[in-house]
Amino acid sequence: MKRNLIHITVFFTVFISSIHLHAQIKESIWFDGLSRSYFARDAINKSITDDTISALNTSNGYNLLDLNTHVNPIKNIEVFAQLRIRNSFGSFFGSGTEINVRQLSAKGIINNKIRFSVGDLFLKQSRFTLYNYDEELSGYENDMLKAYRDIIHYENFYNENRWRLQGIQTDFSYKFDRYIRSLGFDFFVTRPLGSSQINETTYSSDLLLSGGSIIAEINKKIMFSGNYINLFEVPSSGTKNISVRNPVYDMSILHQFNKGNYYIEQKIQTGFSKRYWLHSELENGLVDSISNDAQGMYFELDNKLINKDSTLSLMIGYRYVDPNFRSAGAQTRRLDYAAGNSNTIYPIYTNMSLIRQPSLFDLVSDDQLYNQDLSSVLMVYNPIYSNILPYGEATPNRNGIYLKAKINDKNKLFLSKINAGLFKEVIGQGTSEKREFGLLKGALKINFHRWLNWEKELSFSASSESEITRRGGEEISSLNLFSHQLNTSVNTELVKKFFIQASFKQFYATGSEFLTERDNYGNITYFTPTQIDQIDHMLSFGMLYKFRENVYANLNYNWWGVKFADLPHLDYKYNRLILILSVKL
Amino acid sequence: MRGLLLIILFIWAGSSFSQDTLNQKSFSSNILSFKNPSSSISFSGYYRFLGFVRNQQETFPNNSGKTVVIRSGDGYREPMFLLRLNGKTRDNITFGADLMLNSLYKGPSPDFTQKLTLNLGLNLSTSINTKHGTFNFKTGGVSWYRQSRLTVWGNRSFNRVSIFERRPQTPLNKIPINRYSKYYNSGLIDQGVRYGSRAFQGLFFQGLKLPYNFSIKGVIGKSTFNRSVFEKSDNFTSSFKLKNTLNPSLKIAYNHLSSWANIDSLSDDKRTYFINSIELDKKWDKIQVQMELGLGNYSDPSRNLGHGEAILLNIKTAKSTKIPLNIQFYRISPQFVNVTGNFLNTSVLEVFPNIDGVGTTVRTPYQSPMVGLGFPVNNRQGISINADFNLGQLKLNGGVGVFAEIDTSYASLSYIHNVNSQTLSRIYLFAQNWGPYNALNSTYRGIFENVNISDVTANGLANFKKFFNTAEFQAKYSNKIFGKNYYIFSLTRLNTCRKELNLLPKLGSQTLITQLSEEIDVSIELSKKAVLVLSYGIEKILGNASTDIGDNPAEATATNTFFENLGLENLYRYTNSRNQKNTFFGLGLDYKIGDNAMLFFRYNKYRYFDPNFIDNHLKGWETMLELKINF
Repeated sequence: MKRNLIHITVFFTVFISSIHLHAQIKESIWFDGLSRSYFARDAINKSITDDTISALNTSNGYNLLDLNTHVNPIKNIEVFAQLRIRNSFGSFFGSGTEINVRQLSAKGIINNKIRFSVGDLFLKQSRFTLYNYDEELSGYENDMLKAYRDIIHYENFYNENRWRLQGIQTDFSYKFDRYIRSLGFDFFVTRPLGSSQINETTYSSDLLLSGGSIIAEINKKIMFSGNYINLFEVPSSGTKNISVRNPVYDMSILHQFNKGNYYIEQKIQTGFSKRYWLHSELENGLVDSISNDAQGMYFELDNKLINKDSTLSLMIGYRYVDPNFRSAGAQTRRLDYAAGNSNTIYPIYTNMSLIRQPSLFDLVSDDQLYNQDLSSVLMVYNPIYSNILPYGEATPNRNGIYLKAKINDKNKLFLSKINAGLFKEVIGQGTSEKREFGLLKGALKINFHRWLNWEKELSFSASSESEITRRGGEEISSLNLFSHQLNTSVNTELVKKFFIQASFKQFYATGSEFLTERDNYGNITYFTPTQIDQIDHMLSFGMLYKFRENVYANLNYNWWGVKFADLPHLDYKYNRLILILSVKL
Repeated sequence: MRGLLLIILFIWAGSSFSQDTLNQKSFSSNILSFKNPSSSISFSGYYRFLGFVRNQQETFPNNSGKTVVIRSGDGYREPMFLLRLNGKTRDNITFGADLMLNSLYKGPSPDFTQKLTLNLGLNLSTSINTKHGTFNFKTGGVSWYRQSRLTVWGNRSFNRVSIFERRPQTPLNKIPINRYSKYYNSGLIDQGVRYGSRAFQGLFFQGLKLPYNFSIKGVIGKSTFNRSVFEKSDNFTSSFKLKNTLNPSLKIAYNHLSSWANIDSLSDDKRTYFINSIELDKKWDKIQVQMELGLGNYSDPSRNLGHGEAILLNIKTAKSTKIPLNIQFYRISPQFVNVTGNFLNTSVLEVFPNIDGVGTTVRTPYQSPMVGLGFPVNNRQGISINADFNLGQLKLNGGVGVFAEIDTSYASLSYIHNVNSQTLSRIYLFAQNWGPYNALNSTYRGIFENVNISDVTANGLANFKKFFNTAEFQAKYSNKIFGKNYYIFSLTRLNTCRKELNLLPKLGSQTLITQLSEEIDVSIELSKKAVLVLSYGIEKILGNASTDIGDNPAEATATNTFFENLGLENLYRYTNSRNQKNTFFGLGLDYKIGDNAMLFFRYNKYRYFDPNFIDNHLKGWETMLELKINF
């Protein structure tokens, strides 16, 4: 009921004021947003799946309008409200309608000097303190699946690798005429999770995240930056006397210069973290204590060479991340494999009612599998789909070198990317033997229309991504896991803006690994050996009408499934027809 | 605390000494936004308050004891505050939503707070112009869609109704008397005021100005009837029309409609029906011929009805002729099943959604309904003639029709009440088989009643085909009194059902059901801002011995007590069957407060009574005060 009151209040604030203001000071209110029509029909491929208890087909859809209302009551101040109006396909006359406040914030500049934001914030610092790393399998995705990816990112507020947080943020900078060119400051305090009632007498504590940054531009070539972030609970806001603390300190020096046609950048970045649980306000006057203390550091040396004509970009580096380095803001994963988080489409399959684990298709298409909450402990991951850097570049217990390159033709006849890395664990897990990792990813796009001097697009894209993990030693602890993802797609522009598209995506994984189980404080409790031998596939064919970037209508058909080499009765195949009309207002 | 002090110190220092950051790119952990008003958005809508009081002086025996209702709104889901949002992007994509906000006005308790919701739904549409034609696409819904009478068409009939009652959608006029003058002046045959469309959700497409004068339109999605017990089961309707305008006076079109619904999520069992039809529209100087010829097919796992034919033929003379005529002929076979066309489905009950709270809202009378002119029904064929005639200030129009079932059907009949229909439906919204004899069925602002027939076959169907006669007559008169306009409308309707064919309605004990109603509306202009309205209605429904017998232990009652008192024995008879009498008296005032703002007051007394069915007795009054403001 309280929520309804909030909705109505916001509604009146947004609309009624807008009607009034629209006529009087039209410039002070403006709108944008997004509207989407979505319809999907899923069906079991009966020839393969041994399933007579699941619905043969299901269909669902919705229409939604996210109306962003920007109100500028005075210069340099903006109040922003995003109101979501959604109605389900097949619901008539008000049933299946949801109206929610999706975002509410205010931002502005004080005295033309200090920028501030209150409410919904999208924050990012360094890649080791606060950074929302891309989800697995998304690195070299083809255009055809962009509509799916757009929905996942939009629905989960994934915006430029930022975390959506709620709180207050400010930044300002100084300019100097000697010794130092500029000095910038940035601070924020947010609350990722508020206190809530667990049962009649127990309340959880407020979880806060605060941070600050200093960026000093010493001269045109050298820049120094320092970041601090801390995820912590306020025990007095709840009834528990144990609270997490996770401060992370980060600093970097960037050296950049031009040499001929090249731009060169060298960066040294290092820092350390602490994470522990504080026991406070203890009975019998006991002094505060800490438990599950973990401290770790990281170091990265990064060298970048960029050709100014954008035909070449090369990055080579070395990275060390301590096994005990913990940074909630950088290590929280987008994909949440936690128990109870099930697929939206056919979560249970076969006549044995098995729980269907997320497959390639689910990772590509199911926005409900994704996470928006910062986690103070390392989240569960599935080594099949990401075993080398499951927590991005902040993955702990990694030591190695990497290479990233982009090579493009001047006339954009072809575009290519390479991403490679060799890493090793810093310490072994459950054994003194260390895992060794090899990573090789490559993507190529050929623009045939440029070769043929056609106005309309005809392009072919392909990518190959391989990961290999090995651990020697005794037979019981040794492992060998190999995974490979193949992506191909063809885009043909038949008439202006109208494309026929086809794509094939296959993921293959074979070998053995150990799944790591952790307790509530992130300590490893058990290793479960697992044998892997599966092939996921997703074949798509469809059409796209592209009004412009972020405004398109997409109709396609997907054939997808998983084949397990050793367990043929668990194989499954499904089909999907999907229509997405997405309009960025 | 120390950290906080440091932050305050920094902010103070920043505020005092920092440089302008607006025009330089400095680090910010937050995302920066830029003004990009790419869409134009406008709002329109209305506020409508309806204060409603009903006092039931006589109730059905199972009434809870609550006899007085005081509420905001009359119980139907109607917006009190409707805010239509209309936007257009720079890509020529339009989007719209109609927000609905209601309040119960039951006190400040949060328990009575109403959710903000949508009246109909969201829509996205765009138009693409090419050298081959203009293509329009729309997704979402609810959108109102119309194609052809046999495929998708809203309820359409002749515009013969009492206009005393108002609906939320009833538009405001510039001055109150215009509502009545328009009704008086605008002829009555096919005037389009009630020509409706069907509510659809899904993907709509339209191609206009195509080569060789072709045009196309269609939809794939759901109508209000496509609702399943399992929400995600397949249940769709798709429909399209390909039309060619050979010349301005000759148009032909092909229509297709297909509807399919899974009836079991674990099997392929489906309920399907499809329709193919050809439309022809030819105009001469004084005559227009419209025809639609269709072939339909229905099947479900338990029966396959096979193919069935349908024809709708409409011949009308120009309005400029002295007596404009409209002749309608139709034949729709029982195998021709559709719930979105302009005819009632009576042969397959299962096509109506059978879901609590949903099916009732859309289920129309399906047991051999007695309907007015202009309401085709499947498993029926017939012809009707309508005419218009003016005698100075007196405008007359009317029609007669005769219809016959093609095949025997349910051992029952149903009739839609003409008098007190809205009032009775408000007592128990969208309920099926209610009342002391489980015969009443409420629809949206209407009510119909089922009648059982005792002459049945071994398999429970009626032992005969039913024949229906309908006659409607309307007189409209306008003049001035003390310099002010006044209007009088009189509407007489007679429906009968018998076992044999008669060209004209025939009364008497051989008539299964006789429904006769008379409604008189008077509107008097008091001033430019005020109109007084009066209404009186009476409806008589008589059954014969083959229909339900009453439970009154006393003797049979006279079908007309007035004639009984006068001793005119030829004009009445005694019966133990239905002998219903519905009366209605209404008084109202329309008042203009200002531009786009009007006040409407309505008071009516009602009585629903049958001496042979002793529990069928309702009596009371309703008062409504409506304030409507458009913006």
